[in-house]
Amino acid sequence: MNFRRVFLMVVVLMAGAAAQRTPPVSGDDWLPISPEELKMNSVPEAPGAPAVYLYRQVDRDDSRNGHEYNYVRIKILTEEGRKYGDVEIPFFKGEGNVFGIKARTIRPDGSIANFEGKAFDKTIVKAKGLKYQAKTFTLPDVQVGSIIEYRYMMDLAENWVFNSHWILSEELFTKRAKFTLKPNTEFGLRWSWPIGLPPGTNAPEKEGGLIRLETQNVPAFQVEDYMPPENELKYRVDFVYSDNNDEQDTVKFWKKEGKRYNDRVEAFTGRRKAMEQAVAGIVAPNDTPDAKLQKIYDRVQKVRNTSWEASKTEQEAKREKQKDVNNVEDLWKQGYGDSRQLNWLFLALARAAGFEAYSVYISSRNEYFFKPQVMSVSQLNGDVVLVKLNGKDVYCDPAMKFAPFGLLPWPETGVQGLKLDKDGGSWVTTTLPQSSVSQIQRKADMKLTETGSLEGKVSVTFSGLEALQRRIEERNEDDANRKKFLEDQLREYIPVGIDVELTNKPDWGSSASTLVAEYDLKVQGWASGAGKRALVPMGLFGATEKHVFEHANRVHPIYFEYPFEKIDEVTIDLPLAWKVSSLPAAQNQDAKAVLYVMKAEDDKGTLHVTRRLRVDLVMVDPKSYPVLRSFFQVVRSGDDQQVVLQPGTAAVSN
Amino acid sequence: MRRPLIYLTTLLTLCAIGQAPSAFAGDAPGWMHALVGVTLPAHDEKTDAVLLYSERIVTVQSADKIKTTVREAYKILRPGGREYGIVAASFNSHSKITGMRGWCIPAQGKDYEVKDKDAVEISLPKIEGSELVSDVKDKLLRIPASDPGNIVGFEYEEESQPFVLQDIWGFQGTNPVRESHYTVQLPAGWEYKATWMNYPEAKPTQTGNQVQWVVSDVKGIRPEGEMPPWPGIAGLLVVSFVPPGGGANKGFQNWRDMGNWEAGLEQGRRDASPEIKQKVAALTVSSATQLAKMQALAKFVQGDIRYVAIELGIGGWQPHPAPEIFTHRYGDCKDKATLMSSMLHEIGVESYFISINTVRGGAAPDRPPMIGWFNHEILAVRLPDDVKDKSLVAVVDHPKLGRLLIFDPTDEYTPFGQLRGELQANYGLFVMPDGGDLVRLPQLPPAMSGVQRTGKLTLSPKGTLSGEIVETRLGDSGLWQRAMLKTVTKESDKIKPIENLVSNSLSTFQIIKATVSNLNQTDQPFEYHYSLVAENYAKMAGSLLLVRPRVLGTKSSDILETKEPRQFAVEFPGPARDTDTFEIAIPSGYEVDDLPPPINAEYSFASYHSQTEVSGNTLKYTRTFEVKELSVPVSKVDDLKKLYRIIAGDERNTAVLKPVGQ
Repeated sequence: MNFRRVFLMVVVLMAGAAAQRTPPVSGDDWLPISPEELKMNSVPEAPGAPAVYLYRQVDRDDSRNGHEYNYVRIKILTEEGRKYGDVEIPFFKGEGNVFGIKARTIRPDGSIANFEGKAFDKTIVKAKGLKYQAKTFTLPDVQVGSIIEYRYMMDLAENWVFNSHWILSEELFTKRAKFTLKPNTEFGLRWSWPIGLPPGTNAPEKEGGLIRLETQNVPAFQVEDYMPPENELKYRVDFVYSDNNDEQDTVKFWKKEGKRYNDRVEAFTGRRKAMEQAVAGIVAPNDTPDAKLQKIYDRVQKVRNTSWEASKTEQEAKREKQKDVNNVEDLWKQGYGDSRQLNWLFLALARAAGFEAYSVYISSRNEYFFKPQVMSVSQLNGDVVLVKLNGKDVYCDPAMKFAPFGLLPWPETGVQGLKLDKDGGSWVTTTLPQSSVSQIQRKADMKLTETGSLEGKVSVTFSGLEALQRRIEERNEDDANRKKFLEDQLREYIPVGIDVELTNKPDWGSSASTLVAEYDLKVQGWASGAGKRALVPMGLFGATEKHVFEHANRVHPIYFEYPFEKIDEVTIDLPLAWKVSSLPAAQNQDAKAVLYVMKAEDDKGTLHVTRRLRVDLVMVDPKSYPVLRSFFQVVRSGDDQQVVLQPGTAAVSN
Repeated sequence: MRRPLIYLTTLLTLCAIGQAPSAFAGDAPGWMHALVGVTLPAHDEKTDAVLLYSERIVTVQSADKIKTTVREAYKILRPGGREYGIVAASFNSHSKITGMRGWCIPAQGKDYEVKDKDAVEISLPKIEGSELVSDVKDKLLRIPASDPGNIVGFEYEEESQPFVLQDIWGFQGTNPVRESHYTVQLPAGWEYKATWMNYPEAKPTQTGNQVQWVVSDVKGIRPEGEMPPWPGIAGLLVVSFVPPGGGANKGFQNWRDMGNWEAGLEQGRRDASPEIKQKVAALTVSSATQLAKMQALAKFVQGDIRYVAIELGIGGWQPHPAPEIFTHRYGDCKDKATLMSSMLHEIGVESYFISINTVRGGAAPDRPPMIGWFNHEILAVRLPDDVKDKSLVAVVDHPKLGRLLIFDPTDEYTPFGQLRGELQANYGLFVMPDGGDLVRLPQLPPAMSGVQRTGKLTLSPKGTLSGEIVETRLGDSGLWQRAMLKTVTKESDKIKPIENLVSNSLSTFQIIKATVSNLNQTDQPFEYHYSLVAENYAKMAGSLLLVRPRVLGTKSSDILETKEPRQFAVEFPGPARDTDTFEIAIPSGYEVDDLPPPINAEYSFASYHSQTEVSGNTLKYTRTFEVKELSVPVSKVDDLKKLYRIIAGDERNTAVLKPVGQ
């Protein structure tokens, strides 16, 4: 595993640059304003919008004295929209500078209030070698119905070329926008629009040395629960410079990159003899293949992984005097390496043990979804190892702390990866575990008191990705924090206030497939009164589903990180002489991809409630949202059902 | 609003930029090494770190120059204590931080040292509701090896040109303190006035013009939900410095002086320009009464002057001139108060600034004056004798100034005449011509704020509930809904606040139609009207139908369901009176078999009454929840917990319907 984040790909132009600067922005180059724009009080395509972009323009020039001209015109439609009168333009000092700011407000009657104040220089972060600044200003007399507009030039750093983007989906609806880019001619440039373009927008075209795009009626970007990564939902055009692979054919591009990756892997892992010696100390000759591979996996997981350690200050790092790790032999001797190096160690050991194994460069799916046609190497931001075991493909990431053998962290599951070989490799897809792998099993043995409270013991067993996620989340915490974390988990499951105490010491440090928490639990007033009867709700652990998909409208697809299952068994001993007078009907909603089963049984004064909720989905089209919402309403309704009890002498009191 | 001190971004910033101090190893100073092996102050397993030692030496050099040396050392006990390895000091254009150094004494190995040149400076990016531009920055320094078991410490000097001759020693925080020192060095002839707050007074030692206080074994304060504000509970020492001959516009020893200081800052700022006069005339020309004129001006300042805070230097306390605010049509709270005051003057109505905090529980008559108490500016409007109207409820009778209406020009959702909850029963500093006066603002009747919900509903034999709901929201309750709807950016999303409300009570529902009334008419009650259908609302149990009479709304709270005993009072946001009335038509063929009992819970701070009745074929549920006192002291917290449990029980209670004749 290696979640490398590439913030910015920077290519240094070695050639010296002439000292010629971008000419300043001229004084009154405002575009004309139409009477329709002045009169506008709503936009049919964006009903209720606080403001809309009437026009945006970005003209970027990546030649040696690079600069970027920005022009923004916004119509204010509601009180809330007036906040767009406050403008902050952030930039990294050293990458560029903002100058020539002009701004004005056009009142609804067409009169103009020019911005004549000062754009404040704000230093957001200043550190050694880094200055993140902003130009900040606010426009005068911004009222509902006003149009505000501003323009500025961003002077880009000399001798540098930066990758860039045209972001088409913004916080506000865009009526019209124009973009141009004059590429740097000394490097190869590849551009792509990963999720397509807004309807009616033509693909960017290059003519006369300029890449151009015009678009219109781009919806405002909206945030929703359970949505895919934002990068997958925002229309944008990405521009990526490259100095060594300007291949335009997708297949050839990745073959070329695959060979480079493979060379790197082979150079690091090519210590066959040392690895054979190492593996001899790990496995026994008569181990089965499964046992051998598991032992190698376990051994690699024990190697110190520097990627998981807290970031060190320069002093700490210097004092530690870590030696460079150049190959698997170095790693094995020195006993530490980073995540990618550890996976390569596993690869080398597996091969030395006689397994057919490959390094697979993958693209994790927590920030975006991989698209080969984009041809950006930064997409392949992680790696796993593919081993042929008994004729089957097993994907492993031993560098992922706490991951049991054969289980990948969720962002690496079900994703495309490049299986490397000397010919450039081939595409594979990692395993997506079924819901039965990632379970939360809750078992409660409770007693109902005559006052309607529940008291007893609960055990919660997290398995698969449910266990892995929690171990990762709490890896840097101490026992007290982990105890609170697990107690809070139980509070999240139960829909009323509880008194809870964790009673065991869960195994936080291992890669076991389960994590078990045990509790003492008291739930005040769980049974409610109904005159001479008492009622006990069925869904003791149903709070998590209480607010899922409560809104009727949906824009984006629904995205679950991984399939999962919840299995509950609740046993409630009733007070002496109390009887069950009525049980709710059993629920069984089986829609294949989702399942909900709820059932209550009376066993001579003991109530047994079983509940099962299974979600075998990752991505759901928004068209299917009503069905999914309806399913979860059934879940909530089932959880709300009540068992009717007949108290022995007196009714339950709250 | 006045500048808040926000440090939350600091740790994130350091992490994000990955700045690490360069290699300059050195020994920690002797004062830190003396702390190795000392007995730690009492603490529990949840304590992240303990403050072993702190020292604040304030050297007053003149009325325009104060030097402060700060030293602190922590023992880190838990992973959460790593944040104490980040040194943070605020400064602005009138102050500078020098000589910042930090050290770590690891449990094993050599000491670490970092210096000023390794520090990072940050200021906040644009955050909605906060200052757009401010000169306040933070200087941050990351100390290596800030890990559990290690001791980290730092020192720095602040040199400032003070706006006021006052210093605050806040010696009590979230961590237990072993020992804390505070020293003041005054020039010859100067005096001081020291006031202890929320902590027993410690006697100082004095040597010449140097005075020193020491506290030890100070308990840490663990935050609790809905607790009073920090300055109302944490140990503080407020020290005013008095030069020979008095404060000379920079110091204050009483509320009157502080009012004078503020009056000086505001002097001349309210003078109206010809454009303001012209606008006042235009806004009031059609107003028949003085009240109507005031209302017209209030509406203009609340609505048309955009909230924008540009606070540089003394600008955190001094408003911009009214003509400037009017021309730009923007300003912060004190700017809006200034313009409103200027405009009122033009119609012959006088008004006075009130400094206040948006959280109740800080400033009080028995506490010393200090600017840190306040973060907001509003107005007291002197009502002409002939202006009497039932809409004017936020009124104070001041012995000197007469009948005053308290008005917040920044609060666009609370109409002229009313006051939102957090400002009620709160102390504000009235800035009058002859000085300041700390005055308790009125507490409005509970009936002026709250939700009045009525539902006329029908239950089907299959358990489906359907019908109409009307929610009338008064006071703060309407304010928050208006504010929430203001942020909705799509017409189709306007239903979401209703869906959120309903989903708290119903597991399955569809909103069939919904409308909002008086969204922008803040002088009228805010209203939701909606129709809903809730399938499976009533649960089948054999031949019985189980119906929860309390259809919507939650008044109970689990805030007091904690293991640890409560340490501090519980603060309500404001007085309120909520009522629910639900009438449910029982399906034909069914009759009531059992009803929940009525509830009558009465406490001094709140009351709760509910009743479920049957009338013909209608099940009728009514309840009233009223907040009468805004603060529930620790001695009554058990009663509040009991009340919340009673309410929770009532909210879950069920009526049982059976087939007729069974």
